[in-house]
Amino acid sequence: MTMTKATKKTHSQHIKMKPSAIVTKVVEYAVLILGAVFTLLPFLYMILSSLKTYQELNAIPPVFFPSIPQWSNYVEAWNSAPFARYLLNTIIVAVCTTIGVLITSTLSAFAFSRLNFPGKNLVFSIFMATLMIPGEMLVITNYQTVSNLGWIDSYASMIVPYISSVFYIYLLSQFFEQVPNELYLAAKVDKCSDFKFMTKIMVPMNKSCLASIAILNFISSWNAFLWPLLVTNDPNMRVLSIGLVRFQTESGADYQLTMAASCMLVMPVVILFLVLRKYVLEGVAFSGVKG
Amino acid sequence: MKMKRILCVLLSAMMLLCMFTACGDTATDDTSNSNSDSESNSDSETATLVDSADIEACEIVFWHAMSNAQEAALTAITDEFNATNEWGITVTLVNQGAYNDLSTKLTASAASDTLPDLSQAYNNWVTSYIDKIIPLDDFVERDYDEMDYEDILQSYRDENSEFGFISGMPFNKSTYLYFYNKTLFDQLGLSAPETWDDLINIGKTFQEELGMVSLGYDDLAGLIEATLLQNGAEYISEDGAEFDTEEGLEAITYLMDLYNNGYARLVGEDLYFSGPLGNCLIGAYVGSSTGVSYITMNEGYELGVSTLPGNVTNAANTAGTNVMMFTTDANKQAAAWEYLKYLTNTENTVYWAMETGYMPIRTSGFESEEYQAYMETSEAAQACYAQQEAYFASSNFDGSYDVRNDIGTKFEELVLSGADGQTAYDELIALVNGILQ
Amino acid sequence: MKDYSSPVYTVRRKLRPFKGFLYLLPSIIILCVFTIYPLIKTFMMSFMEDYNLVNGTYTAINLENYKELFSDATFLAALKNTGIYVIFVVPISVVLSLIIAVFINDVVRGKAIFQTLYFLPYVTSVIAIGLVWRWMFNSNYGLINSILNLFGIESIEWLNLPKYAMPALIIFSVWKSLAFNILIFLSGLQTIPQDIYRAARVDSTPKMRVFFKLTVPQMRPIIVYAFMMGFISAFKVYNEVYSLFGGTRAGPANSAITVVYYIYSKFYNSYRYGIAAAAAVVLFVIIFVFTMIERYVTRDRDKVKSK
Repeated sequence: MTMTKATKKTHSQHIKMKPSAIVTKVVEYAVLILGAVFTLLPFLYMILSSLKTYQELNAIPPVFFPSIPQWSNYVEAWNSAPFARYLLNTIIVAVCTTIGVLITSTLSAFAFSRLNFPGKNLVFSIFMATLMIPGEMLVITNYQTVSNLGWIDSYASMIVPYISSVFYIYLLSQFFEQVPNELYLAAKVDKCSDFKFMTKIMVPMNKSCLASIAILNFISSWNAFLWPLLVTNDPNMRVLSIGLVRFQTESGADYQLTMAASCMLVMPVVILFLVLRKYVLEGVAFSGVKG
Repeated sequence: MKMKRILCVLLSAMMLLCMFTACGDTATDDTSNSNSDSESNSDSETATLVDSADIEACEIVFWHAMSNAQEAALTAITDEFNATNEWGITVTLVNQGAYNDLSTKLTASAASDTLPDLSQAYNNWVTSYIDKIIPLDDFVERDYDEMDYEDILQSYRDENSEFGFISGMPFNKSTYLYFYNKTLFDQLGLSAPETWDDLINIGKTFQEELGMVSLGYDDLAGLIEATLLQNGAEYISEDGAEFDTEEGLEAITYLMDLYNNGYARLVGEDLYFSGPLGNCLIGAYVGSSTGVSYITMNEGYELGVSTLPGNVTNAANTAGTNVMMFTTDANKQAAAWEYLKYLTNTENTVYWAMETGYMPIRTSGFESEEYQAYMETSEAAQACYAQQEAYFASSNFDGSYDVRNDIGTKFEELVLSGADGQTAYDELIALVNGILQ
Repeated sequence: MKDYSSPVYTVRRKLRPFKGFLYLLPSIIILCVFTIYPLIKTFMMSFMEDYNLVNGTYTAINLENYKELFSDATFLAALKNTGIYVIFVVPISVVLSLIIAVFINDVVRGKAIFQTLYFLPYVTSVIAIGLVWRWMFNSNYGLINSILNLFGIESIEWLNLPKYAMPALIIFSVWKSLAFNILIFLSGLQTIPQDIYRAARVDSTPKMRVFFKLTVPQMRPIIVYAFMMGFISAFKVYNEVYSLFGGTRAGPANSAITVVYYIYSKFYNSYRYGIAAAAAVVLFVIIFVFTMIERYVTRDRDKVKSK
C-alpha cells in the first residue's frame, strides 16, 4: 500500500488485484475460523465438563453447559492427592528433560548437518532406526535397566532416558541445513571454532525451531504417565499425571473430577506456550544471505 | 554420491544383520541367568515358617489399585493394623494406578526381581511368574482353625488354589448383577427375571409396548461363559472348547436369538450400559455389582437390582483381585501373613464390603448382624448374597486369556452379521479350538 | 604461525574426523542404553519360542513366532488397517496443516489467537478428546451426522459398525496430528527470507503461485521431515485407537485394530512376549524399508534440483 513510487504498470495491477486479495483474505479467515471451532471444542468441553455434575456429564443426549458450575470439583480433585508435591516434581522433571533435549539435539543436529565424519550416514540411519520400534516394547527392558542402576524413586529415572530424542534431532538438523553454508565457510575463515559457530550463529538463528522443540518436549514430559508410574513407588516422587487416574475404577469413572484435574494440569502448559509462542513466530535475521 | 547412498543402504542392512547375530551370542546367557534365579527362589520356598511369636518388626509394602472410597477403606484397615499389631509391623500402601497399570508394573518388577512384599493381582496376570508367588499352604495349614479358612466362600478358595497351591487371599470381590429400570418394569407389569424365559418375555414386552431394547451385557466373554454354565454345559479347558454339546448349542442359540430378535443389543458407542440405563434408553443390563454407584437414573425413575436369571441351573460370574505374597524374606513372609489374616477377618471384610460395595469374602461376613442390617438398605448387596451359591470364576491356563479376548470380539462380529445359533455355535467352537489346540 | 610439525597438532588433526562423534556422544549413550539395547533384545525375543520375559526361559530358537504371527487373521487385519491408516492420515494431515500454517502466517489480525487455538488439541486431556470425539461421532446426536444431514446425507453409525470404524479413526487422527505439524510448519515458515515474498508482492504474483513456487520449495526440508516422522508415527499408531474407542477394544469387533494395538495386547494382556516381539520386528522392517525408499526418493530430487 505504501508503494507510491511503483511504476504505473505495477500500480494499476495492484489496484486490479485488490478484490481478489480480499477474496483470498475472506477464504483464509473462513477456513481458519471453521478449523478453530474443531480445535477449540474439545478444550472447551474439557473446561465445561470439569464444572458439571456426574449426572450432567453422563446425560444422553449430552448437555453442553453445566446448569450450575460445580467449582467444588476442583476442590475435591485438588484434595484427592498431594498435588502440590506432584507439581514440584513434574516441574523439575519437565524442565530438566527439556533442557537436556535442547542441548543434546543441538549438538547432534549440528554434527549431522555441518560436520563430516566417517560413518555419518550409518550413524544417522541407526538413529532413525530407533524410532521404528514401538515404545511399548521397550518399557519392561528399560525398567530392568533403571532398576539395576538403582534409580527407582529418583528424578534420574524419569529424566535421563528422555534427554535425547531423535525426533527433535532430525527436526533441528533439517533447520540447521537451511542455514546457508556460506556462513559456515566465512566463520571458518575467521578461525571461529565449530562450537562457537554453533552457539553464536546456529542457535540464535533457529530460535523458532528451538522454541517449538521446547514446547513440544515440555508437554510430552508433562503428560508422561506410564513411565513415571513404573519407576516410582514413593508418593513424594510422583508426578501430576499419576493423580489423574485416581478417579477411575474398574466399574466407572468420575470424569468430572478427571476433567477438573486435567484443567489444573494443563494450565501451566498453556502459560508456557503463551510465553514461548512469540519465539515460534519470530523470523530469522539471515534473510539476505539465503539462497 | 550414488555410491555413497548405496553404501549407506548396505551398511544399514549390515546393522540389521548384526542384530540377528547378536541374539545368538547372548541367548545362552539369559537361560543360565534364569536357572539361578529360579533356584534361589525355590530355596526360599522351602524355608521353615517363622513362628508368629518370633516375628520381628519390619515394613511390608503392599501395592494396590484402589482409589476413592476403596482406597480410604483400605487405608483405614491398614492404619488400624499398623497401630495395634503386637509385632511392630508397618504395612505401607502404594497406589499403582489402575488395574492395567498395576499389572504392567508387576510384570516389570517380576522381570527385575523387585516385586513388592504383597500385591493385589488377578490370577491371569501372574501366569508368567507363578514361581515368584509365595505359596501360603503352610501358613494356612498352621492357622487353619484359628482363621477358620473354610469360612471363606468355596469359589474363592477354589480360585486361589487353581495353580496347585494356595496363591493368595481373596480381597475385593464382586459379581455380575441384573440392573433394571424398576419404574418402567412396573408400568409394563413386569418383575425382575428369574429364568431365561422371563428374559424373553421381558424382551417381547419392551419391544411391543415401547419399541425398546431391554437387555445389554457389559462383558460378552463373561456372558458366553455364564450362559453355557446356566444351561448345564461346560466352557473351555486346556484341550479346547468343551461346549460342543447339545446344551452348548442350545445356550448359544438362545443367546443369538436374544440379539437377533431385538431383545438385546451391543454396547457400541455407549461403551458401558450404565449410561443408557440411567437415561432410559435400555430396560436392563448385566454388569459388575461395584458399578451400582455409577448408575444415576433420570428423575422419576427407580433402579432395581436382581440376581442373574438361570436356566437349568444358576451361574454368576465373579470378578476382583486376590492379594498375593512375593517377599522371599522368611520374617517378612510371616509378618505379611499376619496382615493378610487381619485384612480378611470377618470384621474387616464386612467393613470393607460396606464401605466399597464389594462383597464380604466370608460366610460369617454375609451373616454378621452388621452386614445383614446393611443389606436391608442395599438391593445390590441382597442380590449378591442371594446368588452366592452360583458363583464361579473363570479358570486360567495357557491361552485362556486369548480365548477371553477373542471370543468377545468374535461374538460381537456374529451379532453384527446377524448369524443364527448354529453358525455362531460352529464358529465359536472353531475359534476356541484354533487358539487352544 | 602455527607449528604444523608439533605432535599436539598432528594428534588434533588425526582426531578431527571424529569430532562429530564427540558432539553425538550424549545422544549415542542415551540411545544405546534406552533404545538400541532393548531393540536388540526385542529382536532376540522374536526368535524364542514360548519366551517368558520374567524368567528369561524359552523352549527353542526358531521361526515359530513368525509362523504363528502370519497365520493369525487378527495380525493380518492389523497390518491391513495400519497400511490404510498410513496412506490416508499422513498425506491429508501434512497438506492440511501446511495450508493452515500458511494461512495463519499470512493473516494480519488474530495471528497469535489462531496460533494458540490450533495448538490447543496438543495440550487437551486425552480423555476429554476421546469423550468429545465419541460425542461428535455419535449416531443419534453427533455433530458430524448433523452436518451430513444438512447436506442431505443420512446419518452414519460411525462407532457401531465395523465398516465405518477405520474412516472414523482416520478423521480423528488427522485432526489430532494437526497441532504438531502446524507448529513445526509455522517455525519453518519463519526461516523463509521475507524479501522473496516482497518481490512476489511487487509482481502481484497470485497466492497459489507463490505457494507452489516459493513456499513449498523453501519449506521442502520441513515438509520432508513432516512426512518422514508422520509416516513413522502413523505406522506405530496406538493412542488414537485407544482414545477414540474408549480403551476397551479397537472399535466394533476389533475392526480398527492396528499393529501396535495388537503388539500391546499380546505383550501386556496375553503375555505372549515372543509373538509381540515378532510383530514388532515385522513392523520395524516395514518402517525401515519404507523410510529407506522415502529417503532415496527425497534425496534424488535434491540432487536434481541442485544441478
